[in-house]
Amino acid sequence: MEYRAARRFGGPLPYPTRIARAWRSFGAAFVVLAFAPPLLLLVGNSLRRPGIPPPQTPELIPAQISTEGYAAAVEIGGLLRASVNSLVVAAVAVPVSVLVAALAGFALTRVSPRIAGVVVAASVCALMIPATALLVPKFAVFRAIGWNDTLLPLIAPALIGTSPLYPLVYYLAFRAVPSDLFDVCRMEDLSPLRIWWRVAMPLVRPVTAAIAAVTFVVTWSNFLDPLVFVYDRDLFTLPLALRSLATLDSTNVPVFLAGAVLATAPALVVFALAQRTLLRPHERTRR
Amino acid sequence: MKMRGLLAGLFSVALLTAGCAEDAPATQASNTRLLVFGAPEELAAYRTLADAYEKARPGAKVQLVEASDRNDLITRLSTSIAGGEPPDVFLMNYRFYGQFAAKDAIEPVDARLQKSTIVKAADLYPTALQAFQWGGKQLCMPQNVSSLVVYYNKALFAKYGVPEPKPGWSWSDMVGAALQLTRDSQDRMAGGGEPERASSRVAVYGLGVEASIIRLAPLVWSNGGDIVDDPQQPTRFTLDTPAAREALQKFVDLRQSYGVVPTDEEVEAENDETRFANGRLAMLLSSRRVSTTFRTVSGLSWDVASMPVMSRPVGILHSDAYCIPRGSKSKDAAWRFVEYAIGAEGQRLIAATGRTVPSNIAVSQSDVFLDPAKPPANAKVFLDAVPTIRALPTISTWPEIEDVVGGILENAMYRGDRLTDVIGQIDTQTRPLFARGEHP
Repeated sequence: MEYRAARRFGGPLPYPTRIARAWRSFGAAFVVLAFAPPLLLLVGNSLRRPGIPPPQTPELIPAQISTEGYAAAVEIGGLLRASVNSLVVAAVAVPVSVLVAALAGFALTRVSPRIAGVVVAASVCALMIPATALLVPKFAVFRAIGWNDTLLPLIAPALIGTSPLYPLVYYLAFRAVPSDLFDVCRMEDLSPLRIWWRVAMPLVRPVTAAIAAVTFVVTWSNFLDPLVFVYDRDLFTLPLALRSLATLDSTNVPVFLAGAVLATAPALVVFALAQRTLLRPHERTRR
Repeated sequence: MKMRGLLAGLFSVALLTAGCAEDAPATQASNTRLLVFGAPEELAAYRTLADAYEKARPGAKVQLVEASDRNDLITRLSTSIAGGEPPDVFLMNYRFYGQFAAKDAIEPVDARLQKSTIVKAADLYPTALQAFQWGGKQLCMPQNVSSLVVYYNKALFAKYGVPEPKPGWSWSDMVGAALQLTRDSQDRMAGGGEPERASSRVAVYGLGVEASIIRLAPLVWSNGGDIVDDPQQPTRFTLDTPAAREALQKFVDLRQSYGVVPTDEEVEAENDETRFANGRLAMLLSSRRVSTTFRTVSGLSWDVASMPVMSRPVGILHSDAYCIPRGSKSKDAAWRFVEYAIGAEGQRLIAATGRTVPSNIAVSQSDVFLDPAKPPANAKVFLDAVPTIRALPTISTWPEIEDVVGGILENAMYRGDRLTDVIGQIDTQTRPLFARGEHP
């Protein structure tokens, strides 16, 4: 049952035509062309020896390759400590956020359309509020509950699914599943929580992969929240640590770039993992 | 079933971490929270200062809150002040503290300063102290007093046979030297003439200067003019007066007539500091803060000279100070740290970084700052400039005014906009900002 539904409602067409396939290759090549050069420059220049005047023109491969920049980045920027903090935040926040978003999205498909409409409208309104406008109220709330200067304010957004957008994405995904399917499950005496976990979630696996990847990147690169809520250097996350490396003078740019490579790598790994699920949803579902 | 277990597990993790967090405020009560910004090596200097203070005053604790640049610091500071839990001490430039002073967010230090046995007002340079007075009260205590100087590459001066700058040199001396030092790749002089054609061939530029009001102001003052109608309560810019206009013309001519400063594309590709570090910029107008960078560049032989004079010697003040927010919960402890930091001991520690000119007169004249073993050899130039330095207005909207004027001056310098239009634009765009601002 899961497999049939997945074939009908999710993933790319099972037999892509030759033209579609060509377009996809073209698109992929375009994306690679646009995004690969900066990444290559980033890696190349991070291997330059720090302390010498920077080159006038960008160099893809530096004349002298050295990993001094990486050692300096870890030492000066406290990147080790910062990576641990970032990993802790992401390890808690991402699963919580995805589960909350999925639960909320599923609940929306189960309530009356009028209530769902109100919630969707409220979410869209919430999306329009700029993050900076919420900084002071959030600061006051976290201060009242004694959370400032801990990692908790960085995890807290996960309790509302990180962004009002993600429950809406799940709502749309679950709505694409025919409600007859859920009605049958209910008649089989399955609890709503079980229907959500056992039936609905496997049908939207590509959506989960996408949301998880995006949530990871948003959490991983969150700069404003730690800037405002975390004071202790030992609690700094990677973006804050990187920011301090960015202020190094021009001869030490390789140190900053080495830090940037270390901070970017996990995001790339997560995308690589997520895109496997995205491009081959059927294989995963069948198992 | 599996799902419920997972949710319960996550929930208990959240509760547990929340429990840990609740213990934190109790231990922080005796903490003095110090908010500063700077590059990693500067922050390390503040950590040394905090450690030394904790050792000197057993029982005292200083928690350093680090921001990377001024914008980050202002974001942190304004959010925490608005949210009711500001740091106990923060470091701020006099050009930027007005916005906090105007909102009455800073605690005056007069009473504490009078009672202090560690530091007296007379120990510090008066110009820096005055810059932090608001409504007749001393709000913050300056930690440094820098001014604008000319950094120059000794090797380039020697290579092209140009005499090194002497104290009291004039603006035209500087332009002359810059022209002789602007060279193409075959070492031929490349300044002057048609700037558009010349720029593509230039290998070494004579001078680097940022197109901003903080660079223009000392030239206007030196030419006998003023940048605003009333330095205490400014209502508008007065760049239309003959002396100011002449100084602005000379400033813009550096690019437009002589072609001795890099074009905006070149500055975008490689900023002046980097160009100087690379040995392809002969002179650079900057404050003390770039000294630490140039010290780290091996093989660069450089020194500093006083600013050239148009009609009288005038410098511009660069100064940061320690301020105690009104909302701080331990102001006495905060003050004890501040008096240590601007007292002889604290100032020596910060001066050793080489990045600042100490505000403490005795320390600035000691070997810790004048250190003959480290460049610049002419470090005394910074101190010689102090008697003639002037401060910019501290009106609360000054940061916005600086932003607006910066953009217009760049167009004048690099695009060659007509001076009358430039002066008109600056006036019309900044008048509302002056009107909205609050004065000391």
